Amino acid sequence: MSNLSLTLALARKDWRLFWADRRAALMGFVVPVVLASAFGTIFHRPRTDATATLPVVVVIEDAGPFTRQVGDELLNSPRLEAKEASRAEAEAAVAERKAVAVVLPIGFERLKAWQPGSTDPRPELLLLHHPNAGAERQWAEGVVSEVVMKRVAREAFGATDGESAPPFKVEAATVSPHPRTQFNSYSHSFCGMTLQYLLFWGMESGLLLLRERRRGVWIRVRAAAVPLSCVIAGKALATAFVALLQVLVTFGVGYAAFGVTVDGSVVGFVLLAIAACGLAAATGLLVAAVGGTEARARSASILLILAVSMLGGLWVPAFLLPSWARDVSLALPTTWAMRGLEAVTWQSGGLTATLPSIAAVAGFALALLAVAALRLKLAERAVRAGKG
Amino acid sequence: MPLPVALSLVDVTVSYGARVALDRVSLDVRRGEIVGLLGPNGSGKSSTLAVAAGVLDPAEGSVTVEGRARAADPAAFALRVGLVPQEPAVYDELTAFDNLTLFGELYGLAGADLRRRICRVLSRVKLSDRAGHRVSTFSGGLKQRLNLAAALLHDPPVLLLDEPTAALDPASRDTLFADLTRLRDDGHAVLLTTHHVDEAEGGCDRVAVLEAGRLVACGPPSELLRAKPNDRAVLYGHLRTRPPKYLERAIRRRLGTGARLEITGRRLRLSAGTSEELGRALATLLAEGVELEAYRTPAGAVERALRSGGCGVGGGE
Repeated sequence: MSNLSLTLALARKDWRLFWADRRAALMGFVVPVVLASAFGTIFHRPRTDATATLPVVVVIEDAGPFTRQVGDELLNSPRLEAKEASRAEAEAAVAERKAVAVVLPIGFERLKAWQPGSTDPRPELLLLHHPNAGAERQWAEGVVSEVVMKRVAREAFGATDGESAPPFKVEAATVSPHPRTQFNSYSHSFCGMTLQYLLFWGMESGLLLLRERRRGVWIRVRAAAVPLSCVIAGKALATAFVALLQVLVTFGVGYAAFGVTVDGSVVGFVLLAIAACGLAAATGLLVAAVGGTEARARSASILLILAVSMLGGLWVPAFLLPSWARDVSLALPTTWAMRGLEAVTWQSGGLTATLPSIAAVAGFALALLAVAALRLKLAERAVRAGKG
Repeated sequence: MPLPVALSLVDVTVSYGARVALDRVSLDVRRGEIVGLLGPNGSGKSSTLAVAAGVLDPAEGSVTVEGRARAADPAAFALRVGLVPQEPAVYDELTAFDNLTLFGELYGLAGADLRRRICRVLSRVKLSDRAGHRVSTFSGGLKQRLNLAAALLHDPPVLLLDEPTAALDPASRDTLFADLTRLRDDGHAVLLTTHHVDEAEGGCDRVAVLEAGRLVACGPPSELLRAKPNDRAVLYGHLRTRPPKYLERAIRRRLGTGARLEITGRRLRLSAGTSEELGRALATLLAEGVELEAYRTPAGAVERALRSGGCGVGGGE
């Protein structure tokens, strides 16, 4: 019998074993879809051109007219969602991170008499913010500074509204490597969760081989003199085929339910999907080769897969990771797979843009496969010699 | 005229690290005979079978099947050997038919020929009506029959069975030995391991006795099981049900020091200094309400080897 026939026979066996527990098999398709949908929903921000406003609580403690005018202008600012409150109410809102508080304390009215070059002590303005709301504090400080300076300019120099406006015009424009596209949280989450689940499927497939090698049934494979290369190829083929099916189902649901599309090179997407499925298969064989006991292999694999998923940007976009983590992640196949998938989906990348990712993922897969094959060969040799 | 030798082990030595599991064992199994490998746990029975099946390489010596060594042509060697592991070596998750399809394909069978062979072996082990059923729904006896069917698919001249009756009830055990007898009559060479003297005596044409990795006796059971004057009288039996512990203790007290009772699962061994004492011990046992389904009274070299008490039988064939 040819080695190809043996390989296909072993692959068919794994295919049948996969579908033997249909509920478990279906969960293998449902879980990545559910995870991707959840992550996509959490990070989804609807497209809108409306100006964002900052929730602010204004506390006016000085009864002077200048202070009142500043307070009113803050309350009417189109850039703020402001309301007036007492100091206690303001502190409560800040503590719950509902708003930033601008407190105009007693003595703030002295600012009305301010002149350029004055050496008098400057009145205070208090900004209260939640410890995790540093960005909101800076936002509020910018708006408050503009409002106060306009009011001071009117008081000190009699400037009109137009005259007290900034003597320049701000033009804002977005600059991105993908100018025609915008970050799509669903595309990101479906790419990330698909990749992560491919690795988990690879692990499960590897654990199955580990179980088989320890069960009596494996003695039949040895007795039938099936070459180890056929065992490895059969396992890799079955694992990769199921993985490819998972990619199709996950992205199919992503397209139908959340509009996840391959905006870039379809050929690049297909090649990358095949490479990623090969990576899943190689991961499985490595688990079987170096895993030791099943429980030990499972624990170590889960830890490793979660780590490479997180560092590879499969959970949250890589740009949110610290720079050291981004540097480290270049040594991980998940980083390259994610870059490639994002390039061909929402970033509209062409085949050329995807080739480095395809090459990197395929290279990692081949390297893992080589290590696994060597380990399995040594293990089989030891078993045959009575040392295993 | 004796049929040709199908399996030949010559001076086979197997080591697990520093431990020698088989020490220069030589054994021939001819077509048309059932040879029983007998010995206590750890005597090297399973290692002999593993090395004969080609799943374990001997450190020294040679194994040939119909004159072929595994190293020269692993596939041709494998085609001539059918292995029946002790634990049913089948996938519980698959149907009997799918299991046999896989194992047939591993031996190069395919298409209509494979389907025909599957139907034939299923019929032979009386599992035709369970072909489409998942193995997880099978009883231990049915699994063992499927285990045997998987080894018969490629119609090998040599059949190797590792303690095939270990998990079987007496009825299934009898069925299995009936199957093996038919296979023997069809010209197969059958080598099986057991540590039950009654199986060796009743089901095998020859018995090879292993002790600490050495072949200490080999011959027809009628010769090996013949009693010598200085042997203790022994009875092996199958209990209908295992008696409770308190009853066991009570029986031992009644038997006194002259007779010895050992019960493992539903197997029983009763020994005494003389046949008369053994007869009295058996009467005591039955009087206490212990029910025996079957019993045998072997003795001689086999019994001595099983008790690991040393023996004077020379090694080799």
